[in-house]
Amino acid sequence: MPADFSGSWARDYSRGDNINKVLQNTAYELGRKSGHGGPAGPMASERDMSRLMPLARLVELITRTDVLAISQTEHEILVERRDDFALLCAFFNGVAKPTESAFGREICGWDGERLISVQEFPDGLRVIHQFNTSEDRRELRVITTASSDTSPMPFTVTYYYRRFEKIRGQYECIETLSMKRVCSTGELAL
Amino acid sequence: MTACVKHRMVVATLMAFVATTASPATVAQSAATLIAATSDGTALNVTIPIFDPGIPDDPSTYRDMQVFPRIRQIEAKMMPFLLRESLVESERWGAVRVVTNPVAAAELQLIGTIVRSDGDWLDLRIRAVDATGNIWLDKVFSGQANEEPIEHKGDKGTPEFQAIYSEIVIELAAVRDRMDDATVSNIKGTSLLRYASELAPTAFSGYLEQTNDGTLRLLRLPARNDPMLIRIETIRNTEFLITDTVDAKFREFNADLTRTYRVWREYRRKFVDYEAGNIKFAEAKAGDFKRGSWAAIKHQYDSYKYDRFTAQEQDRLAVAFNNEVGATVEAMEIRVAELDGWVEQGSLEWNSLLEELFEIEARMQEPGK
Repeated sequence: MPADFSGSWARDYSRGDNINKVLQNTAYELGRKSGHGGPAGPMASERDMSRLMPLARLVELITRTDVLAISQTEHEILVERRDDFALLCAFFNGVAKPTESAFGREICGWDGERLISVQEFPDGLRVIHQFNTSEDRRELRVITTASSDTSPMPFTVTYYYRRFEKIRGQYECIETLSMKRVCSTGELAL
Repeated sequence: MTACVKHRMVVATLMAFVATTASPATVAQSAATLIAATSDGTALNVTIPIFDPGIPDDPSTYRDMQVFPRIRQIEAKMMPFLLRESLVESERWGAVRVVTNPVAAAELQLIGTIVRSDGDWLDLRIRAVDATGNIWLDKVFSGQANEEPIEHKGDKGTPEFQAIYSEIVIELAAVRDRMDDATVSNIKGTSLLRYASELAPTAFSGYLEQTNDGTLRLLRLPARNDPMLIRIETIRNTEFLITDTVDAKFREFNADLTRTYRVWREYRRKFVDYEAGNIKFAEAKAGDFKRGSWAAIKHQYDSYKYDRFTAQEQDRLAVAFNNEVGATVEAMEIRVAELDGWVEQGSLEWNSLLEELFEIEARMQEPGK
């Protein structure tokens, strides 16, 4: 794998986009492109705004997570997100293996050391997450873009996460089927 | 040293070796099986090697094919026992043994491959071959798990996929019913001589011939009181004792695994329901929303999200299953490997001792010796 993202990451609220600002900027850009506007300057038309808003709401919803837990093996990168499904990047012999179902398709790829995860949904909706770390690997940047042929423009936000070490609990726990979660103060032996 | 003295020494070594391979407790425990195994009746002994788990070579297909490799490996060890129980209950067969590796000399061998197993549905390929190489059946048996709730089952209950095992038993019995006693006797004789020719090829390889269709034909039989054959039978019976010890160990571990496996299956069945629910959710509302609207976009995203949640929860439970049974399976594998090594080592020694004995006996029968 070209880069190692494994570890626990907490959102750095001192950096990153303000979603309302991004929405304003996108509306400005749309107005500028279409020549629509008012006394305050270019502004997207009501129709364009009503088509852009669903994407903005989706991006706001799916980027709420404040903690990411990333595990990485030779074949897989799993990005666990609070309140959402885990993103899965599977590679076999260096080739990305898509996760497909009737509800959508998920595929990953590398652009240098940047990991790109693409989710494609039926009816043209697409969500792209781009991950890259700072040189010292203490910071993770995540760029999320939602696009659809029903919207005049894609909607993109950038957030930053800082690496943190999970504090080891007093108990060692493992999941089992019939006994659910089993914990012990010493080494676990079933 | 004269041939006669050397003969006595080799026989003594051989008998001592045979005697040390089974403890009195083991002998008593396996007596019932042994009677069936050595009887001259028309009941054929059945050997079931651990099934082929049917895990694809390409790991990238596991997710799509719903293959959980560790669980498949456990199923491949458990299912032969369930089939074994059904065969024993039918009271149509001699000793029915589960072994770690195929045995070419088995009177009747059932080779199984798990083609598909998702907890709710099982496709099991069974190839039944007798000692002559005649194929009794080679087909895929399919069926759905019985619906009995897990809380009614405990550790006993009706095994999952009982209908499949029952069908296999019925089909095997039907093939057996079409055979006359002479054919069965020929299978038994061929089995013993195949075993004998593996142990002492010089003495026994001339009794069998391979036919054009690949099966084996019994050319002649050694005399009933042939001392070499009597020794071979003693060794085979001892090996059966060891196999039965392995088998008993397997059964013990199998009982440990059964309950956890049932919990896994119960979850798997729930997942099938969840998957059906996800499809219903996606289909029911998809047409209700205006394309590009917030409701339509959220519905698309949520449909995928629930589908992924279901798949990821399943992965998590597969790990939980492995956490729970891992130690038992590991202990079983170590114990069985030890016993297997013991049998293998013993076979090598028997082999060379018998060969030596055969040469001495042949020399003793030469005129003037």
